[in-house]
Amino acid sequence: MTSTDCVLKAEDIHKSFGSVEVLKGISIEARKHDVISILGSSGSGKSTFLRCMNMLEPPTSGRISVHGEEILIKNGRPANPRQVERARRRLGMVFQQFNLWTHRTALENVMEGPVHVLRQPRAEARARAEAIMERVGLAERMHMYPSSLSGGQQQRVAIARALAMEPDAILFDEPTSALDPELVGEVLKVMQSLAAEGRTMIVVTHEMSFARNVSTEVVFMHQGKIAEQGPPKDMFGSPKTDVFQRFISDVR
Amino acid sequence: MLELFSYGDTGWGDELAAGLSVTLQLALATLPVGLALGFLAAACTLSRRRPLKLLGAGYTTIIRGLPELLTLFVVYNGLGLALNALAQWWNPDGGPLELSPFIAGVVALGLVFGGFSGEVLRGAFQALHPGQIEAGQSIGMKPHQIFIRIKLPQVWRFALPGLGNLWINLLKDTALVSVIALDDLMRMTKIAVGVTKQPFVFYLAACCIYWICCVASEFALAGMEKRANRGIRRA
Amino acid sequence: MEFLDILIVYWPKLLDGALMTMKLTLLGALIAGLLAPSLALFRLRAGAIAQFPFRLYVSFARGTPLLAQMFLIYYGSGQFRPYLQDIGAWQFFRDPFNCALLAFVLNSTAYQTEILRGGLMGVAHGEIEAAKAIGMTHLTALRRVTLPHAYRIAWPALGNEIILLMKASALASVVTVFDLMGQTRLIFSKTFDFSVYIWAAVIYLCLTASFVRIWDYLERRLSPHIHGKRRAALARGRVSA
Repeated sequence: MTSTDCVLKAEDIHKSFGSVEVLKGISIEARKHDVISILGSSGSGKSTFLRCMNMLEPPTSGRISVHGEEILIKNGRPANPRQVERARRRLGMVFQQFNLWTHRTALENVMEGPVHVLRQPRAEARARAEAIMERVGLAERMHMYPSSLSGGQQQRVAIARALAMEPDAILFDEPTSALDPELVGEVLKVMQSLAAEGRTMIVVTHEMSFARNVSTEVVFMHQGKIAEQGPPKDMFGSPKTDVFQRFISDVR
Repeated sequence: MLELFSYGDTGWGDELAAGLSVTLQLALATLPVGLALGFLAAACTLSRRRPLKLLGAGYTTIIRGLPELLTLFVVYNGLGLALNALAQWWNPDGGPLELSPFIAGVVALGLVFGGFSGEVLRGAFQALHPGQIEAGQSIGMKPHQIFIRIKLPQVWRFALPGLGNLWINLLKDTALVSVIALDDLMRMTKIAVGVTKQPFVFYLAACCIYWICCVASEFALAGMEKRANRGIRRA
Repeated sequence: MEFLDILIVYWPKLLDGALMTMKLTLLGALIAGLLAPSLALFRLRAGAIAQFPFRLYVSFARGTPLLAQMFLIYYGSGQFRPYLQDIGAWQFFRDPFNCALLAFVLNSTAYQTEILRGGLMGVAHGEIEAAKAIGMTHLTALRRVTLPHAYRIAWPALGNEIILLMKASALASVVTVFDLMGQTRLIFSKTFDFSVYIWAAVIYLCLTASFVRIWDYLERRLSPHIHGKRRAALARGRVSA
């Protein structure tokens, strides 16, 4: 496996908030076309870990590398903000609370990155954005403001926004946790189609069906450490640890 | 009675209009100064560094606790004395440097506007949802882009009602500068009263002119609020 | 020390001024406070047409400079002197203190009415219905339920308004009332010592700060069910319910 195959690598990540250590040495490697599901009960640190990957929470210690380039950290803060910005342009993020910009329409949300960060010409960015909106099934709602969209529609716009940056990998932070149950399906469907076309995805989720059927690898976190990881067939077929066994039965 | 307000030599219409023009000039000149100070004050009070925080909080607390008239006199006399001292030191033989009441007005009212708007803006920045900023960071936006394209439009929406109120107060406070002999609407009215001996008529007219300016501002502000809030569902 | 000299020499005058400022402020706020409840109730209950003149008055009070309102009363009354003398009101309008006070009362009444109206609208409807259900007359319910609640809700905003009134009282100096501002200007015109303005500023800040403390203390006294000691202890888990 060459280094160019490895899109995103986290090595021995520790994160403390004050005196509380939330991440106690997490290491994950995402190669091209990997779909990694991160499972864990609340308090396990999974969202914190995901946010470490794009430096929204800088780790207290450990190494994050994007396409082989290590993001330099000094004293718990990124040493080179330019480097972090460059890295973030190659990663997309979908938030639990969608975080669409309320003062822009859906289409404008999707276009914002390409026009102002990637410096694409406006017309070109618009054409691409419209195609992506079509792709996530929201072509008729392009010109609506987020407040007029349902939760599921907002999250699909958020996914479109991440796609518009043509990222090497997309990070999903509990993308369906804030949605009403009947809206979860439409978002999962989009995520499934992304996985099918070979996108590299790291997904923190509670949706067992997604973890089981769509991901290439499942990571189970417990109290800040990885308790178990492996291909979904193995993980769900024969859980090796008691904690994971209890987790699966509790969630069901 | 209407001839009193006509234009030309016999009526006071043109004098009052000139006064109104100075009033509006004063208010419009103060606005950018006040807003700049307000943003600075908000930045200081929101800063993580203690000395800056104290500076910002100290400035807004003190200026909001003083009568505007006092602030005006402090600036006019204080700045005046300081400028005179400077002039003496620079050119001992020359005459004193005059501080124009207009400049003193802009500085004093600007300081007042800055103190109050600093608090309004602080509240507006604190009302920003951190998620909005994180979304910008996650696509690699630079800090100044996040400030201009994400923070400012939303802060504008939150702060507009408060800032609008402050604008209207500013329009009314300009009348104070007539006390240090600025030829604004209030002072021109006073002059007209001195000649015509009809204080009630003229002061009532002045009140009505201020009233019209304030009501017109309220309309304009309502329009601006509507525009700033397009697409936002209000609770 | 030079800075203190002016205080040592002129403190009686400054004290006089401060007392005059407090007199103007408290009288103005009190009179407006007595007028506000009935006007606020009127504003809530009366029909749109009956309200129109009142709303016009509020718009005028809020849309014109207080300085202009004061001049209108003080200098403007001079235009009607013969008429006022006839009805015996000239003695009142001659005195700049009275004119300034009248302007402040008219101004503060407008603001306090709107603030109290907001407070009244905030009173939970259910509590008023409960009062009616036990047979309280309208007036009693008003006195014992609606108004106390409305005042509690409006308390911070009312405090704010009184502070604004205290600051506005400085305008009285322009029509030769010797409040704190008036005394300060007089002392400066005699001594040209700039530090007198600094002392005036300090005194104003002390006045407003003390007022805020008193107002907050009163708020806690008036709302034991929200701010009370026992309730705070309950919240901290020190006392069992």
